[in-house]
Amino acid sequence: MSQELNKVPDTPEEMADALRRASEQNLSVLIRGAGTKIDWGRPPQRIDTILSTRGLRRILAHQHGDLTATIEAGASLREVNLALALHKQWLPLDPSFAADATIGGILATNDSGPLRHRHGTPRDLVIGTQVATADGLLAKSGGQVVKNVAGYDLSKLLAGSFGSLAAIVSATFKLSPLPATSKTLIVTARDAPGLARLVRDVMASHLEPIAFEAEVPASSLLLRFASARPAVEAQADAAQQLLGAGRLVAGDEERELWQQHNERIWSGEGAVVRSSWLPSDIATVAEDLESLSAMGGIRHVELVGRAAIGTGLIRIDGDPTSQSRAIDRLRRSASMGNVVLLRGSSDLKALVDVWGSHGDREPVFASLKRAFDPKGILNAGRGPL
Amino acid sequence: MDRAFLDELRRIVGDEGVLNEPLDLLTYECDALPHLRASPAAVVLPDSAAQIQAIVKLCAREGVPFVPRGHGTGLSGGALPVPGGVVIALSRLNRVLHVDIPNQRVTVEPGVTNLEITRQVSPFGYYYAPDPSSQQVCSIGGNVAENSGGAHCLKYGFTVHHVLGVEAILPGGEVVHIGGTLVDTPGPDLLGLLVGSEGTLAVVTKITVRILRRPETVQTLLAAFDTIDAGGAAVSDIIGAGIIPAAVEMMDALAIRAAEAAVHPNFPAADTILIVELDGPAAEVTALFDTVVDTCRRHGATTIEVAQSDEQRARIWRGRKAAFAAMGRVSPNYYVQDGVVPRTRLPEVLNRIRQLEQRSGLRIGNVFHAGDGNLHPLICYDERVPGEPEKAVEVAAEILSYCIDAGGSLTGEHGIGADKSAYMPTMFSADDLALMQRVRAAFDPRGLCNPGKVFPTPRLCGEVPGPHRAHPLETAGVAERW
Repeated sequence: MSQELNKVPDTPEEMADALRRASEQNLSVLIRGAGTKIDWGRPPQRIDTILSTRGLRRILAHQHGDLTATIEAGASLREVNLALALHKQWLPLDPSFAADATIGGILATNDSGPLRHRHGTPRDLVIGTQVATADGLLAKSGGQVVKNVAGYDLSKLLAGSFGSLAAIVSATFKLSPLPATSKTLIVTARDAPGLARLVRDVMASHLEPIAFEAEVPASSLLLRFASARPAVEAQADAAQQLLGAGRLVAGDEERELWQQHNERIWSGEGAVVRSSWLPSDIATVAEDLESLSAMGGIRHVELVGRAAIGTGLIRIDGDPTSQSRAIDRLRRSASMGNVVLLRGSSDLKALVDVWGSHGDREPVFASLKRAFDPKGILNAGRGPL
Repeated sequence: MDRAFLDELRRIVGDEGVLNEPLDLLTYECDALPHLRASPAAVVLPDSAAQIQAIVKLCAREGVPFVPRGHGTGLSGGALPVPGGVVIALSRLNRVLHVDIPNQRVTVEPGVTNLEITRQVSPFGYYYAPDPSSQQVCSIGGNVAENSGGAHCLKYGFTVHHVLGVEAILPGGEVVHIGGTLVDTPGPDLLGLLVGSEGTLAVVTKITVRILRRPETVQTLLAAFDTIDAGGAAVSDIIGAGIIPAAVEMMDALAIRAAEAAVHPNFPAADTILIVELDGPAAEVTALFDTVVDTCRRHGATTIEVAQSDEQRARIWRGRKAAFAAMGRVSPNYYVQDGVVPRTRLPEVLNRIRQLEQRSGLRIGNVFHAGDGNLHPLICYDERVPGEPEKAVEVAAEILSYCIDAGGSLTGEHGIGADKSAYMPTMFSADDLALMQRVRAAFDPRGLCNPGKVFPTPRLCGEVPGPHRAHPLETAGVAERW
């Protein structure tokens, strides 16, 4: 084990300096926010320096009249949203571990949750960034305005880079007004085909929920409506009529429901993979997951995901060898794609290609990595490139 | 261009797919920014991705620069040919490949027009959201290159928010698949980089977009104000009340007069008009629309007209959309600028523009997307008056400097292209541009793919951003500018 040196730069210039020096000395650097997803990705190779973003945690600007905010990478989403709420606004993201996750980490992982149904992922909301490159350049792209097509949008390229291209110093986001009120409808279908029918009916309707979640194998759907009160009431009633049943929850009960929903995949010790499917294939997805749970060595499989987008997290409980076989089977299934292992034991990660194949994108990723980080000092091989 | 190269192009696309006679090349000398012109050595008209790949491979092998071109409606010279180079015209790749209503996805070739996607899905109650004003004629491939917006991007976002995947040919000739019908391709968001890269990183050959359900209800309001400040304050309060309208547009007196002369939308003779459109579930629109009406009244709206029918709504939009072309009714020539300021800085920037108008002696009409601070000043001049064209160019450049001073952008939707590349250093530092250049070189180390765009290069003597001249499509009444 190497002697890891922790550095907590307080200014963008210090961040850039630390990287430039590491680059000169060929030191391997891991960029870290709150560390909520530090175990995602491949097991790290040698790490010489851990560069924390936690010295950079200010909200640099909240232009509430323009619905934008510029935030340093180390600020936590929770703190940021508390501050934005003073002007009845928010950054509408609900990634995994939202209580602690930082802005930089959320953008670097492009992680999102149920709110993605309405608001998209961090890449959809980011409008500008400042980064420090491995060789110590401080560079910005995008800007402070929502509508802007000047130059390359490198902010988007950082989304999903897992800190392997550059260190995010700060980012500017488009914000939304906080909805006045909300209500959630919970509906449970009898079986997978029933679930698929409900998903289809909601997608073909005029309902505009801000979140539309599926839970498998429970065959439950959660539809959250948030807006002005009369609009929420009307939408919730219309949804109940369309789906013919369900229970409406509001207030504290609703908050608790969503907290549980967001945490349920991370409960227990199982492997967690991210996977995508076509929304109309949800019944096949459910059947495929059922057959996984019937595999020897697998105790339980469950999915929580965005029903109308076709993406979600799957937890696979079992021993590493069986988990690895299950992931293999997911990758070969006709209904699933883009299967990435996020959380898993080191035994499992030794058995599985964590990121999967990049196909014909591999050479592009390789040349981008060389362009940003020619010495390959960033991210200790954890990320997708 | 050497004969052997032309022969090879012909072998790829057939004789009729290669143009190199001066007369044939004329059409391709410019896009909808006609003052920037260059003649390519040849134009190729492939009709498949395989042919595009073969063309790009040939260009890469021979070191010949190539410029991808959609339908030539761009307003920043993004499809300006390179002298001695090849233009790859994508107009023959115009097939709709797959319409998947249940999953709300459509896959098309790049030469399909923006509006064609909506046409394909509207019988099912769906539409494709980005709506640049040239949507009847502009290609979806061009939209991807420019990250096109439109009137409704305040609520619905830009092309980058609606493209799920592309197949593209890299400048070395390799095929790459980015995104697709499934979301969440692992790794950095290449799609987000490629959309809006102005054709400098790859040639897109296939595009999957998401389509949206038509909203249940649409409500449109037209309010007149005595001052632009009053209109601006109303917009601030609407957004401050937590309402994100589908569109918020403003026009000043000169623009109103021009639109009235051209298409008679029956706009009130006011200093400023504001168009606000809300869409969504009926109960939501009803609840919020009252707030919008009250807000306009509170800020002294002199008249408020609520569209009671689709025809009335169409008339209001016709007036707004015709504003650019209509300038021809009140001025012999005009120059269209595209800049962005933070919305809250609009009054201050508009004041500076008014002062500039007085100082320069040139009339300036203002039409803008008030919701997102995207300005389109229309600078009127007469090219027969010595010195006026040059003055118009200076005025346009000065307005851009106001946008940058206010923390805005050089362009909200028309792109940098060849037109504004020289201004990039006013918005980005040398380090910012250096990092973008590294990305460019990672895709295209030899700079063959649409060179001379986006990045500043020393301009040729006398090559300056120029005034507006009507595009042939506009003259023919096929397209309007936004």
